[in-house]
Amino acid sequence: MRKRAIAGSILASFGVLAVGWQIGAATGVAHPASTTTTTTGGSASGSGSGTNSTTTTTGTALKDGTYTGTSEQTRYGNVQVAAVISGGRITDVKALQLTDREQRSVQISNYAAPILRQEVLASQSATVSNVGGATYTTDGYLSSLQSALDQAAS
Amino acid sequence: MRHVFATMGTVASLDAHAGVVAAVEAEFADADRRFSLSRADSELSAVNAGRVELADAGSALRDAHALAVEWRILTGGAFTPIRPDGLLDLNGVVKALTMSRAAAILDEAGGRPWSLVVGGDLIAFAAGRDAAPRTTGIVDPFDRGRLLCSIELRGTRRAIATSGTAERGDHIWKTGSGGLAFSQVTVVADDIVTADVLATAIVAGGEQLLVDACSRWDVDVLAVDARGGLRATPGVRRALASAA
Repeated sequence: MRKRAIAGSILASFGVLAVGWQIGAATGVAHPASTTTTTTGGSASGSGSGTNSTTTTTGTALKDGTYTGTSEQTRYGNVQVAAVISGGRITDVKALQLTDREQRSVQISNYAAPILRQEVLASQSATVSNVGGATYTTDGYLSSLQSALDQAAS
Repeated sequence: MRHVFATMGTVASLDAHAGVVAAVEAEFADADRRFSLSRADSELSAVNAGRVELADAGSALRDAHALAVEWRILTGGAFTPIRPDGLLDLNGVVKALTMSRAAAILDEAGGRPWSLVVGGDLIAFAAGRDAAPRTTGIVDPFDRGRLLCSIELRGTRRAIATSGTAERGDHIWKTGSGGLAFSQVTVVADDIVTADVLATAIVAGGEQLLVDACSRWDVDVLAVDARGGLRATPGVRRALASAA
């Protein structure tokens, strides 16, 4: 039973490794060290060796435990967090100090989050009355979309 | 009616009724005479040459200088009126200030919808809740013949400013080391000075200024990073025009 579990986890490791290679190929980032480090991941003791292989593909091994960061001064006040590592992964991040001067937690509500180009591009075909862009020079205007709109409107 | 005129080293496109065109153009000509660095006879050139002390300059120049310095402090130096060569350059606020003045003239002239684009930045009439929103296209920084997206201005949102590295003429002087994180930043706000200054500051100040500006000012931001990746605040997401 134990043997089968280890064999399974090694197979899983190779699966993760294969995915890792695919991602590496797609983004043009090579991971030359991942083949050698994964073999040690497969033989790692303790539970969760399947997830261990995930961390070894990046070449960093995280030991289980709770790690407390230093208290950092920010303009919201002092911020200190603790990260819980289990099975080689960050499973929880606890805020030990996250307060401003009024002793209330601060939340940044207006944040520029990543957005898919597709979602933005869908608005392209709308009829526009003007075009915004980085400041163009007098010469740059002549070849700009704004210039084309102006000519069409006058 | 569309009226196109050259000013401040770029081109303005004014969509308004013919009666107010002359007053708007005069506002820009006046600012150009005072602040242009390409004219040796401008008041700002006289200050830079040491012929006139800043304290002795006219109130328009001193007010613009005070505003630029205030923004420099607010943005932790990411926006600055001092060029790398040490010259005082107030055009980072003067263009937007003049657009604000023009907006006041245009609003006073009557209820007809109007819009004013100067060198890629826009201010328009405040569309009422029930009015059809005015749609503005935003140029793709990697292909300037195409639009990246279209943004609808609604309610009090009436200003859009874009800064970037693709065209000359932006008053961006990099702060900190390394390359610029964003190739283009568009800021939507209620007033054009805030939009224009913050767009410039985010391009110059990078990630830190993006987070800072979004959390401290009532603005919507669309940022294009150096690789073409996009970041948007919820306000921009909501304002993206639906395809007609």
